[in-house]
Amino acid sequence: MTRAVVETIESVEHELGRYTGRSLPRTEDRRLLKGQGQFVDDTWMFRQGYVHFLRSPHAHANIRRIDTSKADALPGVYATMTAAEMAERCEPFFRIAPDPAARIVEYPLALKARYEGDAVAMVMAETRELARSAAELIEVEYEPLPAVVDAVEAADPRSPVLHEEVGSNLAWQGIYDYGDIDWALENADHVVRIERLHFHRFSSTPLECQGALVNWDLGTGQVEIVSNIQFPMFASQVMGPSLGVRQDQLLWRYQDSGGGFGNKIAMYPQVAALALISRKAGRPAKWTEYRSENLLSCGMGNERTFLDIEVPVMADGTILGFKLRAFDDAGAYLHYEPLGAVIWSQVTPGCYRFKHVHVDYTETMTNKCPTVPNRGYSRLQHLWMIERIVDTVARRLDFDPVQLRKQNYVQPEDYPYETPNGCVYDSGDLPGALDKALSLIDYDGARELQKRGSAGKRIGIGIGSTLDSGTNNFGQARIINPDLPFSGNGEAATVKLDLYGEIYCTLGTSPTGQGHETTAAQVIADILRVEPGDVRVNAGFNKEHSAYVGFSGTYASQFAVTGINAAIGAARRLRAEIIKVGAAVLGCEEADIVLDGGVASYRGDSERAIPLIGIANVVYANNAVLPPEIADSVSLNCRYVYRPPFQVPDPETKRGNLTLTYAIQVHACVIELDEETGQVRILQYGAVDDCGRRINPQIVEGQVHGATGHGIAAALHEAFNYSPEGQLLNANFYDYRVATALDIPELKTDHIESPSPFTPNGAKGMGEGGGAPLATICSAIQDALGPDAPLVSDSHNSSERVWRLLRGQESSHVDVSSR
Amino acid sequence: MLLRSLEYERPTSTQAAVEALRSSRRARALAGGQSLINVLKHRLAECDLLVDISRLEELRSIDVAVDGSVRIGAAVTYDELDNSASLRGAHPKLAEVAGGIADQQVRCRGTIGGNACYSDPASNFPPLLVALDAKMEILGADGLRSVSAEEFFHGPFDTAVRPGELLIAIHVPARGELGVGYSTVTVADADSWALARACAALKVNGTISGARVVVSALAGAPVRLPELEERLSGLEASPEAIREACANLGAGLAAVSDVHASAEYRREMAAVVVRRAIVEATER
Amino acid sequence: MAGAHAIKVTINGERYERTVLAQELLVHFIRDTLGLRGTHIGCDTGNCGACTVRCDGRLIKSCMMLAVQADGCELTTVEGLAPPEAELTPLQQAFNTEHAVQCGYCTPGMVLAASYLLERNPDPSEHEIRRALKGNICRCTGYQNIVRAVRAAASGEVEVGV
Repeated sequence: MTRAVVETIESVEHELGRYTGRSLPRTEDRRLLKGQGQFVDDTWMFRQGYVHFLRSPHAHANIRRIDTSKADALPGVYATMTAAEMAERCEPFFRIAPDPAARIVEYPLALKARYEGDAVAMVMAETRELARSAAELIEVEYEPLPAVVDAVEAADPRSPVLHEEVGSNLAWQGIYDYGDIDWALENADHVVRIERLHFHRFSSTPLECQGALVNWDLGTGQVEIVSNIQFPMFASQVMGPSLGVRQDQLLWRYQDSGGGFGNKIAMYPQVAALALISRKAGRPAKWTEYRSENLLSCGMGNERTFLDIEVPVMADGTILGFKLRAFDDAGAYLHYEPLGAVIWSQVTPGCYRFKHVHVDYTETMTNKCPTVPNRGYSRLQHLWMIERIVDTVARRLDFDPVQLRKQNYVQPEDYPYETPNGCVYDSGDLPGALDKALSLIDYDGARELQKRGSAGKRIGIGIGSTLDSGTNNFGQARIINPDLPFSGNGEAATVKLDLYGEIYCTLGTSPTGQGHETTAAQVIADILRVEPGDVRVNAGFNKEHSAYVGFSGTYASQFAVTGINAAIGAARRLRAEIIKVGAAVLGCEEADIVLDGGVASYRGDSERAIPLIGIANVVYANNAVLPPEIADSVSLNCRYVYRPPFQVPDPETKRGNLTLTYAIQVHACVIELDEETGQVRILQYGAVDDCGRRINPQIVEGQVHGATGHGIAAALHEAFNYSPEGQLLNANFYDYRVATALDIPELKTDHIESPSPFTPNGAKGMGEGGGAPLATICSAIQDALGPDAPLVSDSHNSSERVWRLLRGQESSHVDVSSR
Repeated sequence: MLLRSLEYERPTSTQAAVEALRSSRRARALAGGQSLINVLKHRLAECDLLVDISRLEELRSIDVAVDGSVRIGAAVTYDELDNSASLRGAHPKLAEVAGGIADQQVRCRGTIGGNACYSDPASNFPPLLVALDAKMEILGADGLRSVSAEEFFHGPFDTAVRPGELLIAIHVPARGELGVGYSTVTVADADSWALARACAALKVNGTISGARVVVSALAGAPVRLPELEERLSGLEASPEAIREACANLGAGLAAVSDVHASAEYRREMAAVVVRRAIVEATER
Repeated sequence: MAGAHAIKVTINGERYERTVLAQELLVHFIRDTLGLRGTHIGCDTGNCGACTVRCDGRLIKSCMMLAVQADGCELTTVEGLAPPEAELTPLQQAFNTEHAVQCGYCTPGMVLAASYLLERNPDPSEHEIRRALKGNICRCTGYQNIVRAVRAAASGEVEVGV
């Protein structure tokens, strides 16, 4: 039974003084620098076969016939499978969506092709080459169907329907209504109307593609899965019932992963397919995605269109809120969607004190790659839209963009601040963060530069303020579907003393470069008063360690809260056991035991002391010397589940506390536009981050750099483009151009530490960032375009798009009505 | 990612290389492979035999003659061009363009001959070679023949090198008084996907003469602009006069629309890069 | 066997004699045949640089070269920078000190590219560093600390030992 202390948020900050907060270099680095990492493709099982997925070239097509006989006949081909075969061997996947989308029947392979890249068959063979060549021999008779590639169009009942059993393309629809928007629009001094804003499709494309090596051992019943999947326990809960296996039969593990960013969360169809073909062939099945396969079919971030945006503003610049219709594009399947339909509401008013919000939200399915929770999942889109609104209000109503933001921000004295839908922003200093960001880019100097002007060039200054809401309350899933048995969150850890007094920790997280081994060691070293070098943390994830809960994985900016507090909790339990044993051995009260430097002593007396190796000895190998009541109550292997204090949100009112912590990002930049070409060059970029108490500042900074890099790349370089027929036009790294070292400028950074009152260690989750660069760069481009220019209405701005804006080509109208 | 099954030979002379290329209709010359290996990975072309010419000595040298003319072996890498002091002295723009291609790894293996023979509309060397009036030396069964650069590039992935032939060397006449300008609009940094590219070679002696202006990356092969060249002849070498001469240039040019840019934008950018290339040429 | 070629390659100072098929890429030979897993595959168009190795001193992408083309060549992979049990090299140490490693997937290629640069240009400017690393994609670090690490290694301000 967990102690009540979890509910009352007892702070442990006073116990974390020596190593927590320091920029210790990472212990993970040594193996990675020496090329001794173990990534999925580096893993090998005896007798393994290589898998190739045959993918549909059509965006939408019935499958009239599949014939694998020629592939089966090829020597060296171990097995093939089609969707029809799978439908006989497994159950459809569990659905998050409510009716009608709940009626979707999805197996690991597709019975009908619903996007270009949909996997319709698979081959397992002796070599990769053979699997690929054999796949080419599989005959598929497609009956192409019309495709729908626009989320708004897909809502129209006349558009082609992807899942016939649903009867429409509707994934989810709902109205979020807080305050009284009609009153606000009626009584505001001004109403700014924006016809359309569009957030584009892109992905974080981790450098390592998805992969899995799966062995279904019929002898033991174990399904061993080595995979870089980011949220193994979610996948496990979906796959288990589908495959008809018990959760304890599914053994997930990996050591190193080459990046996740939310893109490796929804890999369960592929893993399930591998399990089934492994079982059929009686061999381990190995699959590593090709890059072009990854771009086509791994997953893309939510593409969202906002229509008919109305913003009531008072004469003094107070923005009352907004009303709009949102259309989110889920792609062809709902693998983690439609959770995105509620996740954005963690930050309903963004950084601002808006009281009146009305969002008519529709999520539809289209013949495009399925959506995954890409870095910044669902909040990115919403926060970008809000910044565009604020920017536009400033410009059109002639308010200073800095003052307008400061005035409307949640103020430092407002925290903890309850938003219109019941979320609680924990702490922060938005105005202070903005000041720091402006100082990083020398704001006054930039305005001077802008005034001076330069032939053929225009200077623009942009601001973007966002939040990274971390540690989700999974109860928000019930707002999507009240029947879902999920709520709360948590993470597990074990910290144990091994036979010779060594300290070893296992975590339920699945790190992809965030330094969990190093930072967990820092906090454990503080709790147990040893050196971080004395603490070893398991690399990667391994379910065999039994340090997991249903939420285990790495996603949603929560490790600093959930994973770290799980480690702290387990270390505190171990400390309590060490003290108990020490007191028994040294013949004193527990309160007289001092634990320091790997030794438990009576009030610091080194003559009356027992080292950790001695503690371990009397429990593991020498327990007759202990009183029975002590010996029976310690194991030195302590498991702890950190549980954040959440209640279940109310699906009726769509209110509740949806996330525990709110990190803040305020960015500012100075750009130079070339009037002839529309090319954008970033002259200055400043990023201010506030994620509460930082466990390892250098690691936090690294995440800030990375998130900023992703945001800049998406704003200027990266966008997935589909043809009207649903063909992905840039499905390789030539055409989908990811940012190189020459594309990302030097970043100037600063930070604030506003501790969270809701976490034991004062930290807030971070890592995703809020997508501030997208807002910042749009804001800067708008500023450079000057007054009377059309609205920058898209989150992606290639040089051609900027060039068109420079020439007055409007794609979204803004008008202002005033009393 | 995985190539189809094929054969490989590494002949030890250009003659043997030509014989090997003639042995199959689907034989291809392989030098640095920085384009061809990608083509083969994605199974976009038929190939049953790769003839590796990357180590043939006759194709590997940069020779600058006393008069300043240059002979560059087809298998000289971009990195070698970039680091050749003698080439920089004789024809700095060739070295500069080579040094700006792609990235260090590509430059260590990619070759000027490969760049020319691949003839991707976005390839870096074709417009420069046309502007410099280079001669392409091709070896076939009947011996050597020379084709002007202008007649060498037929279209995307299509050049004057016929099946069974091998590009041996590129001859570039002495620079003399020529100023050379080269300008590109790309999707991102200096050498990413080219949307419009131009090269201008001309003499300035108060006024412009002998101009050769070439635009590429819009659609197919590089295109010379004879009407513009005529307008430039005798023109005062000022940015204003050049801008006027280039007015409405884009309108008459063929360009494609694709995921990177529309035809309209490419045409407009063509006018920009042509103007910039000419201005640069007048300043060097 | 048609299309099979005997090759002799020296990798990290060790000589290997193997038979390869003509169509086999060098990166697969390094990883699958020789078991050197530090060289990674991140794309299929030669854009990402995760497969970067040294070949006869040159910096190359091993996915853009056939194994048979490496016949007679001397290769260095990340494993060859220092023996397995040895300390990190000063450049590797700089990557550690400056937190230039997150997921580690681009790291081997990045370190090789950086060391190639420093051999030729011991005091590179920030722009020269970025240009030299253009062929190596990183999705985690935003390149910021990688550039810092190369600068730190160039200026010799690196502590010894992990």
